[in-house]
Amino acid sequence: MSVPILKQGDVLIASIQSALSDQDLVQLRDDFAEKIGRLRTRGVVIDVTALDVLDSFATRTLRGIAYIAKLRGAQTVVVGIQPEVAFAMVQLGLSLDGIATALDLEEGLAHLGDTANGSAGDGG
Amino acid sequence: MGEQLEQRESFALMHQMGLNDGAIERRKQVVALEHSDLARIARIRDLVLPRVDEFTAAFFEHLAKFDEARPLFDNRALLEKAKRLKAEHLQGLVSGDYSRHYVAQRIELGRLYAVAGLEMRFFLGAFHQLLRFIGNEVMTHSEHAPLEAFDAFMSLKKVAFFDLGLIVDVLVFERERIIRQQQEAIRELSTPVLQLRDRLLLLPIIGVIDTYRARLITENLLEAVRARRAKVVVMDVTGVATIDSRVANHILQTVTAARLMGARVIVTGITAAVAQSLVALGIELDRLLDTVGDLQGGIELAEQILGYRVSQGNASESRANATS
Repeated sequence: MSVPILKQGDVLIASIQSALSDQDLVQLRDDFAEKIGRLRTRGVVIDVTALDVLDSFATRTLRGIAYIAKLRGAQTVVVGIQPEVAFAMVQLGLSLDGIATALDLEEGLAHLGDTANGSAGDGG
Repeated sequence: MGEQLEQRESFALMHQMGLNDGAIERRKQVVALEHSDLARIARIRDLVLPRVDEFTAAFFEHLAKFDEARPLFDNRALLEKAKRLKAEHLQGLVSGDYSRHYVAQRIELGRLYAVAGLEMRFFLGAFHQLLRFIGNEVMTHSEHAPLEAFDAFMSLKKVAFFDLGLIVDVLVFERERIIRQQQEAIRELSTPVLQLRDRLLLLPIIGVIDTYRARLITENLLEAVRARRAKVVVMDVTGVATIDSRVANHILQTVTAARLMGARVIVTGITAAVAQSLVALGIELDRLLDTVGDLQGGIELAEQILGYRVSQGNASESRANATS
């Protein structure tokens, strides 16, 4: 099952609704890689609220998306990691180093807004 | 009724101490109690049995000489019971059957000593006195075969040391029970997650952090982060006496998990001694998490992150406002 990527202003939002196969994850990464540049994206929000597990491949793919986004000038926020998932990831030693995380979609968008304002402020 | 209850408690204690049939056999091996010993003990049984009351009296007479054993003698009911159990012990000592029932009796007596607060050395002294009396008795009645009598007495002594092992273990176990209860209490100390301001949580940690408690703390915190939509958490470890690499790892895991949920954790209250030991152990926490010296500083930083501005109102001004 592929994940639709929604465009909201200059932010791309992908909401993962069910467990994804490795192939779906790669597909998502490739879609992002293509769309971020084409749509002049400033921020990427990936919503994993519905997932009850994040394995090593999924975390690596998320890191990959974040890195690609960064190279193309966009910031990534992963939102909605559930308490059980967070605990399991820590236990398994999986990390999302270098990726911003937020409680939910709203928070994630707010985070992107904050950093945008921050950089604008810095520029001025 | 009460006695049955006591017995059941003794069996329960046996179970807690891991005294099953295998362990009992092992203890017999430890004192080298063998079949040949049983036959030898049987030979002196008739010498000991008629004088059980006398030996019992000697045991308690010796104990009575010491002030430290006073609690036992001041409690009439306890003393009567101790005397009865001691007489039973002596009968059991020469019975040749040292299985579960016998062990349970020893445990019961040991528990009684623990309740009476009888220190081990007084019990040991009195017990030795008792053995001396039995030895005298055996030797005086065996003038013709002193060697055999000595062997028989030595066999009895094996059982006596078997008993000693049990009593000592009960006394130690009962004493450690208090330590275990205290540890349990520390572990069970609740770890409240307190809301300081909107989106700001305080997590004070006091006591010992072990794997089990670290898990509880982490789970509580993550649930609270979700329920209260926290953005910043101040974790205060002033009340954690020692932080070794394992505890540091637990703290790190909690912080990382909270961060995955979008909450930033500030660790405060790492005391000078703890900081020293962390450096000595080569654990670099600061690279992985935000640390601030004390709780006040942590809360100030958290408020700054959340955009709160705390200002001190002019006291005289507000008083003037109140009166006008």
